[in-house]
Amino acid sequence: MIEKLDITLIVNGRERHARVEPRRLLADVLRHELGLKGTHIGCEHGVCGACTVLLDGRSARSCLHFAVAVDGAEITTVEGLGGGDELTPIQQAFHRNHALQCGYCTPGMLVTVQEFLAREPDPDDAAIRRALSNNICRCTGYANIVAAVREAARALREAGT
Amino acid sequence: MKPAPFAFAQPDDLAGLLLALGEHGEDARILAGGQSLVPLMNLRMVQPAMLISLNRVDALDFVDVEDDRIVIGARVRQAQAEEDEAVRRHCPLLADALSFVGGQSNRNRGTVCGSLAHGDPLGEPPAAALALDAEMRIVGPHGRRTVPASQFFLGALETVIAADEMLEAVAVERTRGDERSCFLEVGNRAHGFAVAGLALRLRFDAAGTVTLARVAMIGAGDTARRIAGAETALTGRALDEAAIAEAVAHARTEVDPPSDVHADAGHRRHVLGVLLDRGLRRLAEGDDA
Amino acid sequence: MNEFVGRALLRREDAHLLRGEARFIDDVPEPDGTLHLGFVLSPHAHARILEVDTAAAAALPGIQAVLTGADIAAHVQPIVAEVEIEGYRRHGRDVVARDLVRFVGEAVAVVVAEDPYVAQDAIELVEVSYEPLAASIDMEATTAADAPRVHEAVPGNLVFEGRFATEGFDEAFAAAPHVLKERFKSGRVGGVPLEPRGCLAVPEPGGALTFYTSTQIPHMLRTAVAKYIGCPESRLRVVVPEVGGGFGTKAQIYPEEFVTAALARHFRRPVKWIQDRREELITDIHSRDHIYEVEVAFDGEGLVQALRSRVRTNAGAYSTLPFGCTLETTGGARMIVGPYRITNYAYVAQAVVTHTGPVGAYRGVAQPSCYMAIEGMMDRIARHLDIDPAEVRLRNMVPTAELPWTNVVGVRYDTGSYQESLRAAMEAIDYEGFRAGQPADRLVDGKYRGIGICSFTEVSGTGAPGWRARGLVRLPGFDTGLVRVEPSGEVTAFVSHAHAGQGHYTTFAQVVADALGVDFADVTIIEGDTAAVPYGTGTFASRSAVTGGGALIRAATKVRDKMRRIAAHILEAAVEDVVFEAGRAHVAGVEGHGVDMRRIAETAYAMNELTLPEGEDFGLEETDFYDPPLVTMANASHIARVAVDAEDGRVEIEAYAVVHDCGRLINPMIVDGQIHGGVAQGIGEALMEEFVYDDEGQIQNATLLDYLLPTAEDIPDITLGHIESPTIDAVGGFKGVGEGGVIGAVPAVLNAVGDALSGLGIEIATKPLRPSLLAGEIRKVRDGSAS
Repeated sequence: MIEKLDITLIVNGRERHARVEPRRLLADVLRHELGLKGTHIGCEHGVCGACTVLLDGRSARSCLHFAVAVDGAEITTVEGLGGGDELTPIQQAFHRNHALQCGYCTPGMLVTVQEFLAREPDPDDAAIRRALSNNICRCTGYANIVAAVREAARALREAGT
Repeated sequence: MKPAPFAFAQPDDLAGLLLALGEHGEDARILAGGQSLVPLMNLRMVQPAMLISLNRVDALDFVDVEDDRIVIGARVRQAQAEEDEAVRRHCPLLADALSFVGGQSNRNRGTVCGSLAHGDPLGEPPAAALALDAEMRIVGPHGRRTVPASQFFLGALETVIAADEMLEAVAVERTRGDERSCFLEVGNRAHGFAVAGLALRLRFDAAGTVTLARVAMIGAGDTARRIAGAETALTGRALDEAAIAEAVAHARTEVDPPSDVHADAGHRRHVLGVLLDRGLRRLAEGDDA
Repeated sequence: MNEFVGRALLRREDAHLLRGEARFIDDVPEPDGTLHLGFVLSPHAHARILEVDTAAAAALPGIQAVLTGADIAAHVQPIVAEVEIEGYRRHGRDVVARDLVRFVGEAVAVVVAEDPYVAQDAIELVEVSYEPLAASIDMEATTAADAPRVHEAVPGNLVFEGRFATEGFDEAFAAAPHVLKERFKSGRVGGVPLEPRGCLAVPEPGGALTFYTSTQIPHMLRTAVAKYIGCPESRLRVVVPEVGGGFGTKAQIYPEEFVTAALARHFRRPVKWIQDRREELITDIHSRDHIYEVEVAFDGEGLVQALRSRVRTNAGAYSTLPFGCTLETTGGARMIVGPYRITNYAYVAQAVVTHTGPVGAYRGVAQPSCYMAIEGMMDRIARHLDIDPAEVRLRNMVPTAELPWTNVVGVRYDTGSYQESLRAAMEAIDYEGFRAGQPADRLVDGKYRGIGICSFTEVSGTGAPGWRARGLVRLPGFDTGLVRVEPSGEVTAFVSHAHAGQGHYTTFAQVVADALGVDFADVTIIEGDTAAVPYGTGTFASRSAVTGGGALIRAATKVRDKMRRIAAHILEAAVEDVVFEAGRAHVAGVEGHGVDMRRIAETAYAMNELTLPEGEDFGLEETDFYDPPLVTMANASHIARVAVDAEDGRVEIEAYAVVHDCGRLINPMIVDGQIHGGVAQGIGEALMEEFVYDDEGQIQNATLLDYLLPTAEDIPDITLGHIESPTIDAVGGFKGVGEGGVIGAVPAVLNAVGDALSGLGIEIATKPLRPSLLAGEIRKVRDGSAS
């Protein structure tokens, strides 16, 4: 029997502890050990992007990380993007542009866009599409997601954040 | 789709890594970014008894500029190298190739050396390493050795790295003089999952004669490979129509592409020529990476 | 009153999805002691199971049990698709194979574990001995005399054959001056929802079972599960959590659902199963593995005189629940006539079984492939006669002035806009301008550039008669609305659908608000729980707006009538003088003389000093079971403009226009979203998606690295327009829209590529159009002409 290991993660600003087998995927630990079920699992081989979280500030596939291997890291999940009751500007733009249907890809999309707009505040459509191309959405046909990102970028620039 | 059990070690220094490798070598795998390894583990196509993470070894996190090489340590993420000022200035081909790897979230975690050590026949970094005459700096219990990229890749997912060794760093050649390069690939989608790809590097003298040609391809065999005939055809002459045609012909004959669900060998053979033709024309126009 | 229907109201569903607070199947809280299932899948397409050795797996710590097909058979009866149509051959399926396996991925054993990781460990330890048998993989070869038999009950592997011919067909066909023939091959694809399937069965006190499952059809599923596991239907409650995409893939009832429910009863513990992506790709229903051999006879003006089709669909290894395996076959054969005035028609429609995964109802069902055929023929007629393809279509379409019109297989087209939608789409994409600048060789700036059309009718909102016509005598067809005004005056409406992203909480609330004359904000929609919602058919085949919308309007109208009677009583006015506005009833013309909803509701619930009219019952709720007509017929025209790279064979979609007519729009924003998403799936299907089996029946692309789904860079912006021709046959005027996007996109893209390569004489009659295929065809022509 392989021993479980104690790990500490800073998740959405809070220090969280877990005792897990080395093989437990970060996605499963976030969802089932820490109860953060907003991070979705869509393929478990790193293609669909539904499980994307921020890992030490950069986007990462939580299905391609063992929780023990990121012991000590800072993680931001979809639950940690928002500021309380208000939706974030990116979330608001998704809502206003009907950029989600079933919503299963949405948490991964939001995290991806969060990182993208922080790095590229004034992207053109081609850059937006490239940034989204690592996340599969099977419902929307992407057009409204692209529109949402465009609008969110503008809102964030105007807010000066 | 959940990985099989394994033991886990994450030493803090290189000595610890090597100790663990020496102890568990055959049954262990090094975990760097995990972007290639973990999918295989989730699919249970790979079931190592132990994973040895190099992620705590800060000494492997460096980009050094040597006289004629850029040296990238084993923990350097692809995105980190892609964005690195020295890499962009001294080795634009590498940055260009890395931009084709997976998506941002893969590149944020995957390492340059991990991708090379994995030896994926359709991975972009191996082709870049070949085109850049990389030195693969391998370390093991008996010390260090350096293997040229041209001798490093043995087959699909197979390299010269022994079970108790690891790739400590890759040292790619710095751009010199009038050097132009580009990375091109095609797949069945707009971006990602290459069917075929090309890393191309040419050096010109003042008269416009090609003095060095590196043509490295993916989708051309069971590893990334250099196309010697094409390189010879290009070297020592101007980059004119005849040279391009000759090189392209080599790119279509000197390859042994696989057939799979995405493309048959005939298509790959054809588009490898197309890519080389496009790449050479681009460099002829001076429109490089 | 039409205050909310027709408005692009933002969705109520969004906030919790955006915050990560939504609960999909794997997010439903697991009760303590939940057991996790894992299925051992056959690696053979056809084999006899000799022995299943469970000992090593059972000995693994954390394993509760390992069950074979024989063990499961004690808990679940073999399932049989109840298709009752002439020419269909019934066959059963053990939900876990006992004797023979018939496709790669069929379950042969079940492990029951304390943890999903341990379940995967145990799967590897179950040792199954097989005697491999020769397999029938190819859908043409499977009916050869010496082909390996898939089922004893299906001789010749022909599971269904239907024939049809209009009177005097042969004469009409023979009389036409021109005949063209083509064989179209449509590649096998799947819905591939981003959320795989899963279910959780929780025993309740007293022997009841709550069954959470990711489905589009909670009621039909409840009936089937109760029947096959022997549970009283009244003790089985099906609850649908958020569903991460369905597309028909989840409008099926799968073996794992029976096993999970049965084992929860057996072990008296909660039992959970979550599918992984590999399982999703291998075992979920596939679709569109079709061949159409089409002959079209036409005159010199391009008018179709007669059409003959031989439709063959690959049913895979088993007929599935609840649609059986003839839906695509009958659909393809019957829908192919589309918006065209084709009066002489003959078909032979065949479904064949093979040792491949079962097929089912993926978005569009047969329509993307049958329109690939008929729309491909329209282009061939145009090229043959040198008439513009748009003009050929316009000449053949049933003009709006001639509607209602009954097509050659008896389907009524009540309203529509076939020519108008095509003309509008042509305008939207500047069809004439593009054609004017298009050279004969189609080569512009180094790429072959072409334009392609698909004009189609879309079967939607099928009611009981529509299903009967296709042999599905046990598929209900109706849906149900229950509208309740609560004592507070707020409204709760229950509807027998189950959304998977379509925005029902928003759109149905718009419908109910208008039907009752109340504020949208006061209406709450409940669906997806069989304990709360009356029986109905569910959400698939572009039906919810038609059947659920109709049922809700009819139920709301009954409630409103009652409210009027109560209001009239309170106001001491005549019932016909009472009008509703903004949640208030008043006497017409005397706005001051009124009563608000709350007071009417309190009266109905005996919560104030007022009395009900003589003979009126307490309460304020009504139920309506609405069965729409045969079908409601939506229509649209899609036009794609593409560039084909002559060297690498890649297709880029440079412009895309849709003009759609689904009758009265409930929420244009949501309708547009449905079309966008459908078009993206259609582009995927046309260019990159296909499940590939090798000769041994091994699936070659069971990961998302190999089964390619389109990304944001593969899908163009879409210019979208609407025409509204409300149906006159169904309540509300709505026609369905869920499938239209994918139906139109597949043929439009194929025809655009066909147009682009027409200068080379290349005909497109297959999909997907991978770059390797196109580059190879182009190379063949060029090499041929060079030599």
